[in-house]
Amino acid sequence: MLVPAALVLAGCGSSQDVLAPHSRSARGIASLWWDMLIGSALGLGLVALILGAAWVRRNEPGVPGVRDGDRAALGVVLVLGLAVPIVVLSALFLFANIFLIRDTTLPTASAAASDRPALTIRVVGHRFWWEVRYPGTAAVTANEIHIPVRTPVQVLVATQDVIHSFWVPELNRKIDMIPGQVNRVLLYADAPGRYRGQCAEFCGLQHAQMGFYVFADPLPRFRAWLARQAAPAARTSGSALFVSHCASCHTIRGVSARSDVGPDLTHVGSRTTLAALTIPNTHAALVQWLRDPQRVKPGSAMPVLDLTDAEVSRLAGYLESLR
Amino acid sequence: MSAYGIGAAARGGRERPLGWWGAAMLVATEATLLAVMTATYFYLRFKNVAWPPRGVPVPTLVVPLLVLGLLLAATTPVCLGVRAGRARRRAATCGWLIVALVLQAAYLALQLHQYAHDLRRFAPSGSAYGSIYYTLLGAADAHVAVGLLLTLWLLAKLARGITRYRLNALEAISFYWYAVNALTVVVTLTVLSPAL
Amino acid sequence: MTPAPPVERLERIWAPRPGVLGWLTTTDHKRIGLLYFWATLVFFGAGGVEALLIRTQLAQPHNHVLGPNAYDQVFTMHGLTMIFWFIIPMTTGAFGNYLIPLMIGARDLAFPRLNALSFWVFAASGVFLYTGLFLGFGPNAGWFDYVPLASRLYDPGRNIEFYTLGLIFNSIASTLTAANFIVSIFKCRAPGMSFNRIPLFCFAFLAASFGLLFALPALSADLVYLFLDRNVGTHFFDPAHGGATLLWQHLFWFFGHPEVYILIVPAFGIATEIIPAFTQRKMIAFPLVAIAELLVVFIGFGVWAHHMFATGIPTVTLVFFAGASAMVVIPSTIQVFAWSTTIFTGLPRFKTPLLFIVGFILFFVAGGLTGIMFIAIPFDQQMTDTYFVVAHFHYIIFGAAVFPIFGGMYYWFPKVTGRMYFERAGQVSFWIIFAGTNLLFFPMHIVGLLGMPRRVYTYPSGLGWTIYNVLETIGGFVTAAGILLLFGNLVVSYFRGPRAEPDPWHGPTLEWSVPSPPPEYNFAVVPTVSSAYPNWDAADRELDRQRLAAGAGVLDEGPEQVVSSFVDGETQEVVRMPHDSPWPILVALCLSAMFAVLAVEKYTVAAFLGGLLVLTLVGWHAKEPEEA
Repeated sequence: MLVPAALVLAGCGSSQDVLAPHSRSARGIASLWWDMLIGSALGLGLVALILGAAWVRRNEPGVPGVRDGDRAALGVVLVLGLAVPIVVLSALFLFANIFLIRDTTLPTASAAASDRPALTIRVVGHRFWWEVRYPGTAAVTANEIHIPVRTPVQVLVATQDVIHSFWVPELNRKIDMIPGQVNRVLLYADAPGRYRGQCAEFCGLQHAQMGFYVFADPLPRFRAWLARQAAPAARTSGSALFVSHCASCHTIRGVSARSDVGPDLTHVGSRTTLAALTIPNTHAALVQWLRDPQRVKPGSAMPVLDLTDAEVSRLAGYLESLR
Repeated sequence: MSAYGIGAAARGGRERPLGWWGAAMLVATEATLLAVMTATYFYLRFKNVAWPPRGVPVPTLVVPLLVLGLLLAATTPVCLGVRAGRARRRAATCGWLIVALVLQAAYLALQLHQYAHDLRRFAPSGSAYGSIYYTLLGAADAHVAVGLLLTLWLLAKLARGITRYRLNALEAISFYWYAVNALTVVVTLTVLSPAL
Repeated sequence: MTPAPPVERLERIWAPRPGVLGWLTTTDHKRIGLLYFWATLVFFGAGGVEALLIRTQLAQPHNHVLGPNAYDQVFTMHGLTMIFWFIIPMTTGAFGNYLIPLMIGARDLAFPRLNALSFWVFAASGVFLYTGLFLGFGPNAGWFDYVPLASRLYDPGRNIEFYTLGLIFNSIASTLTAANFIVSIFKCRAPGMSFNRIPLFCFAFLAASFGLLFALPALSADLVYLFLDRNVGTHFFDPAHGGATLLWQHLFWFFGHPEVYILIVPAFGIATEIIPAFTQRKMIAFPLVAIAELLVVFIGFGVWAHHMFATGIPTVTLVFFAGASAMVVIPSTIQVFAWSTTIFTGLPRFKTPLLFIVGFILFFVAGGLTGIMFIAIPFDQQMTDTYFVVAHFHYIIFGAAVFPIFGGMYYWFPKVTGRMYFERAGQVSFWIIFAGTNLLFFPMHIVGLLGMPRRVYTYPSGLGWTIYNVLETIGGFVTAAGILLLFGNLVVSYFRGPRAEPDPWHGPTLEWSVPSPPPEYNFAVVPTVSSAYPNWDAADRELDRQRLAAGAGVLDEGPEQVVSSFVDGETQEVVRMPHDSPWPILVALCLSAMFAVLAVEKYTVAAFLGGLLVLTLVGWHAKEPEEA
């Protein structure tokens, strides 16, 4: 039942393809890859050619006895093994680490105003989901990050527990989330759309299912979204079941549930996925998740709740209404 | 055998015995271990604003340096013991080694006393400072303890006369002591550095 | 041909104890080499089964062959096993032990009992590690075991104790072997083998040994800190109490990157033996290759932070380490072109061993080129921790480090067993393994570029990853089939293969100058050496025969061995070697018991066993060689 759900999830043009860049940073890296691939093909081809030429001579009768040194061959070793690599490596080193680093890191304070990040987002890694905060607003969400399109965004990353790594390959390189430090990475999207990201540092049992989406929206749409997310919960009636069973871990702003062990669920109904992209946010999937989270995502912190089927259905209905 | 005269003796050079080379390998890897731990000390130090952290006293200089002096003072008798051994003077060799052993044992006893004193004031589980302080000093002093065992063993052997094998052991163990002394100086200065 | 009287005396002096006891107490480097060989093969089998389990689990998205808990232990054990219990002990323990004394013209390593101790400690450490797995406490935080995932808070079982103690235990064995090789190569060479005449194989093992000697302490310190953090409550890695998370990574990779060269450099050494033998020419640029072998390991100590480019350390630091990483490429390219031009300008005969070396060169170049890409910091930050990295290091570790091991198994098979293997089946095994390996690892590049992170126990469909994972799994099983054919060939050949001459390949180094298999004392007469290819110096070998006939230079007054000068290899003295001792295995037993009780936090018992260990060491040294 979950397999088709996952198919639906991944089906709609979603990928995390390094070679399908959607920002200047990612494009720079991808085009460097193609250049390096060509260079590597030439290098491998050259060695293969030498070995192939030796293969051609495999049956050539030889003079008995052992051959000794060879000045010309020594020259080849020095040129191909020493001189050429020095030139090629220097070129690659200089290009990649002077020019490309500039395109993939956040602009410094001295950069032109238009390049400086217009927005800062805080992302905190948890086992096994992503907490997303928009400083200056009350908005807190999980696993789905919205950014304005064609705007440099600074993402400050930290972790609540072990090391995670924040990575949206189509937008930029990855950055680790390390206990005791806050790291920064630039996010920028050329075009509106949904970009898939995933934890890239092994973090335990459900490292495999710790994904997230970045939605790049046109600015007005982004602003509207942010305003909605910053508001308290759309509905408070029917929250009794949530308060009694879920409030020790989750927050719903506007309801007396204020714990930050699990994701903030104030607007959970507005998200497209649940459990860090493990399942789609549909009624059926949500019911299954509430009934037996450890079957859906073994090792996640979500415990099995003591709820009847009717209660699960009611709780799911309430959560879905939080849009 | 006749075809292979002992070349080094013929040329008058002193060739290190294999055992010395073995000790050199041991020292190389152990010195790296202590160097890594010393590097850890400074890495952690530069990660912290307060070093030692609040509530942990800055180490005092005089007593630890005097105690270290005891260990270093043992270098001379070790050196003299090796000379006596090369001259095949057994009693002198044993005598010098015993002098060294007393100094080294005194050093270790005072160090243990110092640990007991320090532990009353801060624990290895109190902070990263305490963790590396005790681990680094403990690692260096463990090498002193091993050296004491080696010297005791050598004395027991030498008590029954001098052989080439025992002389080789003397060369190897004395080299070990020189290295441990040097490493202990580095380690002690490292842990005393907040007071320097 | 009846043996000359001195040979009879040597046979008597060096005769091993009969039966199993002979193997338990042996100090013969050849027997220890074989023990290492069989033990590492068992671990190779275990690591291989783990690899196939991983591939089976990943054959389809949302597969259920392994759950996340089992998968984490299996992939961690796969990495640990292949690196610490297969490749290092196979190259140093088996190949190095067996061959280094034969190549330098010695009768044993400098410290034969230490060598035996190394083996027993190694074997016990492997048993220790796998005991953890079978108790359900297999290490489960990846082979580089990052904190705080590996801290007690997030990994409360005893899993990580089997990791820390198992690796400290294992590194004792590696350190002993490394020290032994260095002293042997420095001090136990045949007369005339000056430094510039040491075979390249031995240079490679010298480099690897130095790497082990200086890299393992960093790992040991790190493991001690982790053990203390988990069990004593220290705070080395805890930023809330002044510790530093990245400290683990710095120390781990200070060891971990030299480790990569420790894995690969012995493979270089094997290549530089097989290439001259099957092209019948001396290596081009011999001194450059020797220096390059040492330099690779040396520079390898300055590149560790390139494993940490995504951790947010300052850009200046990154650029420095990227520069050092670029420099380490140069010695490798020199070697690549030295090997390939030697093959080209020689008279290549593509028998199975040379085929594996050609495969090795291609894999090494391919894996090396993807490695070079990581000096581009942004590319590294994009691709690190993806399957692209998995592809890169398997090209290096499997393609480049293991292929020469396979080639070496075929090459020295006649020497070790006295039988020839079946050439045709050998070549077929090469082609199957070569094809399988590419099918197994090449798609990993693509799936990495498509964004698949490493260390995931499952993955969603629809991201375009499935087809590549299917191909990889097929490649995994093809490779396994080829490896089975390889060992099948060797096993059948061992019983049915035609008898081998002492020197079937006209090999360049001294091991080919002695009978197959070599006698206990290796050389009846101490050989004289006047080049780096002593077996090709017919006049020298003729001189050996004349000397043996005359009974000169036989050293038959006991288990004797020459000690030579460091640079010139001139004989300086003759020493007696220890011969057959029960103490190494007893010391190893004490040590094993100590590690076992440490794993269950019985520190008083551990201290008691430590005392027992000291007593066994005293017993070891009770009898002096002169009294023997």
